[in-house]
Parts: sequence; structure tokens; C-alpha cells
Amino acid sequence: MAQPARDAPASPDPLEKELDEDIQSIRAEIRTLQRRKRFLASSLLSSDSVQKLTRKLPPALTSIHDEVSPLIHAAGKHSELNHYRIGFGTTAFPFKDPSPAAPTESLLGVRIDICARNGRFAKPYYVLLKSEHARGEVKKRLCVHRHTIPAFIALSKLESVYLPFPVSRKVQGEDDHGEESDGEAIEALKPVQKGRNAGGKQDLRGFVRELRRELVAWHLRTDAIELLREKLGLSEESQLDPAERLSPEARGGIVSLALTALEARYVRMEWEDGRVGRFKLSNTGIVERAVVIGDGGRDKQTENAMTGAGGRVESLLDRLQRRDSRTA
Amino acid sequence: MARSKSIRAPTTASLPNNLRIPSTTPSLTKTLGKLSRQALLDLALLWLDDRNITSFPPYLQPEAENGIDDEETLPYPAAETVEEVRQAYEDLQDRKGGKREVLERILEGDWRHGITLRQLAMADLRYMDDHPASLRWTALELSLIESRQKQSANSPVADWSSSIPRTQAATFVKALQQEISPLVKGHYHISRSSTLPLTFLRIFIIDTPYQSPRQTPEIFADSSRLIYVAFPDSCPFIYTSISASTGSKAAPSISSIATDPRSLQRLVREALPKALSRPQERYTLKATALAAKSLPTLLALRGPGRTTAANGAFSIFADAAIEGSPLDPRPASTVSAEEHMRGGQKPRSPEDKENAKREGETSTASKRQSSIGDSELSPTSKKRRLAIHSRFGTAGGSQNPAPLDRLDIRLLDAPAPTRDDDSPAGTGYPVSLTFTGSDVIGGIRKLAELGVIDPERMPSWMTGEEAISLAVVRDGKRVKRPA
Repeated sequence: MAQPARDAPASPDPLEKELDEDIQSIRAEIRTLQRRKRFLASSLLSSDSVQKLTRKLPPALTSIHDEVSPLIHAAGKHSELNHYRIGFGTTAFPFKDPSPAAPTESLLGVRIDICARNGRFAKPYYVLLKSEHARGEVKKRLCVHRHTIPAFIALSKLESVYLPFPVSRKVQGEDDHGEESDGEAIEALKPVQKGRNAGGKQDLRGFVRELRRELVAWHLRTDAIELLREKLGLSEESQLDPAERLSPEARGGIVSLALTALEARYVRMEWEDGRVGRFKLSNTGIVERAVVIGDGGRDKQTENAMTGAGGRVESLLDRLQRRDSRTA
Repeated sequence: MARSKSIRAPTTASLPNNLRIPSTTPSLTKTLGKLSRQALLDLALLWLDDRNITSFPPYLQPEAENGIDDEETLPYPAAETVEEVRQAYEDLQDRKGGKREVLERILEGDWRHGITLRQLAMADLRYMDDHPASLRWTALELSLIESRQKQSANSPVADWSSSIPRTQAATFVKALQQEISPLVKGHYHISRSSTLPLTFLRIFIIDTPYQSPRQTPEIFADSSRLIYVAFPDSCPFIYTSISASTGSKAAPSISSIATDPRSLQRLVREALPKALSRPQERYTLKATALAAKSLPTLLALRGPGRTTAANGAFSIFADAAIEGSPLDPRPASTVSAEEHMRGGQKPRSPEDKENAKREGETSTASKRQSSIGDSELSPTSKKRRLAIHSRFGTAGGSQNPAPLDRLDIRLLDAPAPTRDDDSPAGTGYPVSLTFTGSDVIGGIRKLAELGVIDPERMPSWMTGEEAISLAVVRDGKRVKRPA
């Protein structure tokens, strides 16, 4: 349909234009419907009742069997995989390194799925580990090759504790030749390995457990702050029940509450009367430290209200409200 | 300048924000002239904002009317109130025209008494926001120097967050100033980027101990005296506009007094980690072998997000392009990569918002790509396409948000593979390769698509997997540092 439009760009016939637009929208609708159909079909195929039915299908119906079973089989396998991912949150998979120079082709992939507050799953996180021969050892050891973990989680620190690698990780990719020039870096690395069970056992489970904990904690922190923002009516999109949102009077004059950085460790607050505050969130969702400064210096009472009574971040606004009503 | 008549005493303070550069300075006109009309108007209105009006007051009609005749002849009669000036710029905003008239109005009209250093800094940063590829940036890694004693104490580590220095902007600038003020006098300006998750620090350096330097005003717009440092959010990297070579370990010649901009820059670079350090928490800067013109590239390759350590073949993981969310009932093989990537963006985790922003820019390009890909393919080219996909992943395609503009490779292997004699590698003749262009990795991918490069035998540095712009390679593998 683009053809006639291109032929006569100078005089776009209003009728033609309208038709073009119609066609465009219809095509878009067809696409979304097709997508929906596919979605529903695979949902149906992977549903429990269909899966059960095929398992006890009478052998007489082989024609249906032959035609449908690969699809049902694939769907069943996929849903089983999904159950593992939802249930355990961490799954492993093999991956083949396509690089011709790689010493070991096969990599061990670890996939971490994390459910966010809105009931959806965040993009999965991956860590790809390769196994390498450590110097002077027969057994292979794992080390992190590539990953999609955000940079504020110190993967190298985790690795050095849970997946110790005896000499230095620079063995791959460079031999003694490279090491000479890199003496300084190795010097810095060595004590790390010596201090913590150098050449000791590798603990992949511990590594993944700590990593997952750190990732979940980050998601929980961001979700908690998003919840507070929604309660205060500061967030544009809200998944919160409008009844749960605070009325402007109940907000206690808080005009801003926002994360200072992606890591969601520190949160900055602002009040109507010019007071500014900042608090630190712990991994367990507790307000660890809080500072509020106004024109008249530190506002210790508000600080205590923020960190006191267990210090859960979710009930932070209730505590502030209670404090306000007590002082009023 | 009237100031120079007053007493000049050497101090260690930084150059004042309100130091005015005469608006007749040609280089000032040039610097401001780089900005677009809209940017100039935005800046002028920002300067006239209530919060800033005391810092950069426009030239208003003097209250005692003594030189009226003189005023009349000027093209821009001085306004009487700030409100009037504001109105003038708002009027300019409403109508169309060249940027010339705005520039002239600023320099010859409302700020005829001079542009302050802070105004110039704001203008420069605005230019950077509009042109994210105007400078060449080098990524450096901040790493903690850990003391030996701390290591031997085998304390159970419970904190797995990266060692990112936390500091207040003002404290940091003060520390930095203390560090370099005996050697370099500077003007510091910190500002948050409006388009990227970055905080910029602009440092103007000059070698004079005096508050009001006697140098020609030209020097204030000298770009070689400017250093930009960008701090990305939540990651242990910083980007500087200082080229990497100045930071090399070449013995600093103490005898020669540092006066040229290059050595001044070196001083600033050395002072940066010190200013970020605290007692018991010392930082050092490490090179990361990445320099690129575009800041989005640096953010993708040395940033806080998922793509920092998964590129090339592994970008399918960074983009989550192979598998969907566990709630997706469709088997992964039946869903296209684009759909996976889009689907993953619905959950609103912080970094996804960034990706969404980026996707908006590249979506038009991706449409073009897919229309090419839909054409019929012969079996061999299909096979090649699969191989290319496995090597490059989603990187280097038209969706690539991280184009490298330059890739320097030094090959230590002998050009002809003579495997029979076991001579130690490195004794051969090293070959240096330099690729330049708007998107080097994308170009290599294109060549592979055309069949010029064998995608299966290509080393991984060609696929962008290493996320570097400078590497020494032996046997197809990267060597960390040249011998």
C-alpha cells in the first residue's frame, strides 16, 4: 500500500490517506490478535488438564497423537522448565562458547529469576562460568566468565570468597610472559587468595545463594521505595489501590522521596518546610540510619521516628504520621 | 578588567564563579556559537531564573541616568527590570529566527559586562548534553587499595556491594581542590546530565596563583585547559576526557615546572582518586582499555547495567533475548528475540527504564534491518547468518546502542601461522590494526554478513565480546598488558 503513496507524494489524496491509515491500524490489530492467539494456544497446550489428557490418550487415536503430540510435548517441557524457574528461582543450563580461541567450549550458565512487586519477573540475570585448570592441580575449577549482574554488586569479591582460584586468574589468556609485566596486579591479588582458603574448596551453591540474595535485596529495596512513592502520590504509574494512597494532608508535608542512585541504598526526602533528609536502607529492608536537617539544625525527633520501632521501611510513613499527630 | 588594579595575592582558593570574561572575547563568541538557538534561549532563561538571577544579573539600565545618549546608539538598549529581559527572551522563543540574534543579544545586550565562568561552564555542559559524542572519553575503574592487615583478619564478609565511593559533591570538589590547588588553579562546576544517568564535573585549569589572572581572556575558552569527568550512577567506573596516555606511568619530571595544559591535566588525574578516598578507604584508578566518543557506549560497556560484562556472543543474555519470563507459556524457540527483549521491559526495574529510552532511539533503525532480513535466503547464507548470530548475539546489529568509533589491536602472533617451530610468541613482528568508523563492531558484522569474514573462525575481539577499544592479542586471546 505504500506504492501509490510514494508515486504521488505532492498531492496526498485525503481519501487515500485515510484508507492507508485504516489499513495500517487493521494490520496492527491483526498482528496483536495473532500474538494473542499464539499465546492462548500455548497456554492451552501447556495447561495441566491437556497434559494429563494426552498422557492417557487411547492408542486408537494415533492420528491425533502424531499430529499434536510434538507440540504438546514441547509445551509440557517448557511449562515444566518454567515451574522450576518459578519454584527455585535459580536454574543452571549448558552454554557453548562460540569463540574459537576459547580453551573450553562448554560453559555452565546460571540463570536467576526474580519476581518483582508487580507480579512480573524481571529480566533474568545470568552468570556464565567456565572451568579451568588451576596451575598444578588435576581437577578443574570454576571461574566467572561473563555475567549480567549490575556493577554495584561486587561479583569479584563474591568470587574470591566462594570460588577461590589458586594462582591468579590471569593464567588464561596470558602465560608467564604477561605475568612479569603485571607483577603489581598479582601482588595485590595474592593476599586475597591466601587470606581466604587459597586453593580451598569451591562452593558454587554458596556463591549463587549470596548472589541471589543480593539481587533480591536490591529488587526489594527498589520495590519498597516505589511503594512509598505511590503511597505519597509521587509516582506517575500506580499499581496501588487508590484507597491505600495517602491524602495530601496525611503526607506530613513530604514533597519528594527518591532514590539517590540505581543501587537503591540511599533515599533522599524533602519536606515542604525545607527540611531535607536522607536514609540508608539495609538489605533486610530496615532503615539503618537517617539524617534530617532543617533550618534549625538536625531534626532528631523525626530521625528517631524513622529508625525507631523496628525501622521497617514499608511502615516508615505511618511512623512519621504518628509522630506528626503526637507533636501537633 | 577593573579587578587587576586591586591587590593581587596568591591564594589556594579556586577561581570564583563570578569571574567575568569580557563579552568581546572572540573565543567566547565561538564557544557560545556552537550551541543551537534553542539551547541559547534555554540557557538565557535559566540564567534569568529566580534561583540564578543573583549569580548572573543581566545588565540593567543604571538608575542614575547620566549617559543616555550613549545608550541610545547601542543596538540593545538596556532593560530596566529583570522581568523585561525575561520577556525579551520569551519573545525570541516564540518566533523563528537564527541563533545569531540570540547570541548577539546575550553578548552585546544583556550580559555586555561579561559572562561569568559559571555561565560558560553551564553553556559547555549544555553543549555536551546536546552532543554526547563531542569528546573522546576514557573509562577508568575505581578500585579500592586494601590494606594487608585487613586481609589477614579473616572476618566473615557480609557486604557484597561494590566499593563505590560515596561522597557529597561539595565535599568532593573541596577535597579535589585541596589536592591540586598548590599546583593548579581551577574552576569547578558540577552538574547532573539531563539525558544520561551521569554527573559531570567540569574543571577549568590555569597555572596562576592569583584570583584574578592576568592572562588574556582568550584562555578561558581554551578547550585544552578543560577537563571533564563524568561519574556514572552506582558503578565503580569514572569517565574522563583526559586521554589515557597522559595517565601513563612515565616518570614525572619534577624539575620542569608544570605549566602546559597536559601536565596540568596529569596533575588533576592523579588528584581524582585521592579526592575520592577517605581514611581507611583509599582508591586508585585503573585503566580499562576502553575509550570511545559516545557516552552511551561507555555507559553500556562500563556502566551500572547488565551489558557491562556480557557483550558480543553473550549480549543475548544481557538483552535477555533467548528466553522469556518464567510466566510466559510460549516455548522459547517460537518467540522472536525482539519480542523477548520487549517483553522483558514490562517489569519496571530501574535499568529497564534506561533500556526503554534507548530502544526508542534505535527502533527506527531496527525496522530497517528487519525488512532486509525478511528476504529469501539460500541455505549457505542461512547457515552464515546463524553463525553470525551466535558470534555477535544482538551486538553490532543496527540495534546496537554501544557503537565503538575506534578499535586498536596489536597482534603479537607471527602473521603466517607457523606452528611447527615452537618459538616463544611475541618475538615475531607485531602487527597493529586500527579500525575507525561510526560503528566498528557493526561494520565487522556487516563484513561477516557479506561473507568477507568467516564468522566461525573470527577471534572474539572482533565481535565486541571483550568490550574494549584497545587490546594486545596473542593466539586470538587478549593479553592484559603489553610486555
